[in-house]
Amino acid sequence: MSRLLWNGLGKLKRRDFLKACTILTAAMGLPVEMVDKVAAAIKSPQRPPVIWLHFMECTGCSESLLRASHPDIARLILDIISLEYHETLMAAAGKQAEEVLEASVKKYKGRFICVVEGAISTKDGGVYCKIGGRTSLEILKDVASQAKAVVAVGTCACFGGVQAAHPNPTGAVGVGKIITNKPLINVPGCPPNPYNILGTLVYILTFGKFPELDKYRRPKFGYGRRIHDQCERRPHFDEGRFVEQFGDEGHKKGYCLYKVGCKGPVTYANCPVVRFCDVGVWPVGSGHGCLGCTEPDFWDKMEPFYEHLPGVEVPGGQGIISKADKVGKVALGAAAVGIAAHATAGVVKKIAHKEKEE
Amino acid sequence: MMAYKRIKVWSVLLRLFHWAFALSIVTLCITGYYIHNPFALGPWEGTPTTFIMAKTRLIHFIAGFIFIAAVIVRFYLLFFGNRFERFTDFVPITPRNFKRLLATIKHYLYLSDEHVPHGGHNPLAGTVYLVMLLLSILMIFSGLFLLFPESSFWVGWGKTLFGTQQSARLVHYFFFWVFLVFSLIHVYLVVWNDIFGCEAIVSSIFSGRKFVRSDKH
Repeated sequence: MSRLLWNGLGKLKRRDFLKACTILTAAMGLPVEMVDKVAAAIKSPQRPPVIWLHFMECTGCSESLLRASHPDIARLILDIISLEYHETLMAAAGKQAEEVLEASVKKYKGRFICVVEGAISTKDGGVYCKIGGRTSLEILKDVASQAKAVVAVGTCACFGGVQAAHPNPTGAVGVGKIITNKPLINVPGCPPNPYNILGTLVYILTFGKFPELDKYRRPKFGYGRRIHDQCERRPHFDEGRFVEQFGDEGHKKGYCLYKVGCKGPVTYANCPVVRFCDVGVWPVGSGHGCLGCTEPDFWDKMEPFYEHLPGVEVPGGQGIISKADKVGKVALGAAAVGIAAHATAGVVKKIAHKEKEE
Repeated sequence: MMAYKRIKVWSVLLRLFHWAFALSIVTLCITGYYIHNPFALGPWEGTPTTFIMAKTRLIHFIAGFIFIAAVIVRFYLLFFGNRFERFTDFVPITPRNFKRLLATIKHYLYLSDEHVPHGGHNPLAGTVYLVMLLLSILMIFSGLFLLFPESSFWVGWGKTLFGTQQSARLVHYFFFWVFLVFSLIHVYLVVWNDIFGCEAIVSSIFSGRKFVRSDKH
């Protein structure tokens, strides 16, 4: 399939191939001596095929891979991993496409890597996402059960993403909630950095095992450190220079975005180091705070995006969200009023007592 | 004429705990609020550097470790301190403590004039102190999770207790307000007890000694 689509654009040159291998090796945090090993693994004819499933998502993760300004990445993914099924990229459609899926699953049973992009609907039997008459839930269970390993790409596939945000009308969940008996890696992000997607796949190809994972099953080479600790604006934070509002003098000078709600201090990702689109851009570099898109439930927990802390759910109230500041100030005020009332009562009592004695 | 005698209640270690705890809370609240909302801007480019945020954070972390040490000392004293310092003296788990708890509440509500002679903590205060100690553990774990984002030990605990760093940050900030409210009420009630009671409760945390009625016991 990949040959069919890309042969017309020319084959990958060896020089470009090695360049891409080097970038990937660096992205995985491996030393330069490993480049040969990575290149050998990628060229090996025994490399495991990939079946790429799309569920409830915007295809932004595939876009992030393919629209990278470095064309090598797009060609690399098609040349290095044998992509057997990818709804966006494949030439086949409709019934033919479904036949390809069935045939590839059968042919590579127990050997292929199942990449999932998008969340899975679970409410009402999963009817909110259907492909070829089958629900996403059925397809995932069917395909993943025969895969060697599952890689969830993007925040939707990892944690449910935007459609899992409160009140989650379709019961969207990430792959990890459904597939519990298969090795799983989460590569979150909205979209994830293409090098993290490729790095994960190539790591499995090269070493035949998973990279080191954190508690949310994210590869540590991409999600082991917080954005804040690697940020180019960090010196401004330490020096106390902040953007007070968008467009002010501090913003023009590139100061720290902490006070306008940057979630870099609580988000694990390598965006400041690897960056996007091969031209060195990333949100904070472009003057917008981090939204924390690689963290679980970021649509609920990182909101409001332009404030430091999330809302506080007031117990008892239905969906009432308040600011921690406000709750705290009200509590402090109430305590002060209580103390004043208590002290006044004490004074009144003493006076009354004295009058009685007289 | 009522007769009083002076007895030793608080050991040196408990008094050291109290002041380490109190002063570290004051420092942590001030520096912590600054870290949450850096109200004073640092110098603009071209002026000598101050690293105000970096230094505030350093003070916050030092005070944090003093706070941790103080909490560990208090937990030790809960089990191995003198008889006034042990949890058995003030937690309402015995009929005696429970009766005293009700008497204290009545006294605080001006419903009774009788000042219960506790010696150590009254059960109401003691229970609140115990709750604050437990909340301190929450503050310590959320704080260390935020401070050591790459340590597998603290990240493991942090994710088990709080989930993401953002949730830990919210917990850490929210309980800052609880400590603030606690401090306010604590200082008020101690002064109130000093006026209405006869134990000389304020000076007891310096001298370790309280006055108790000698004709009743």
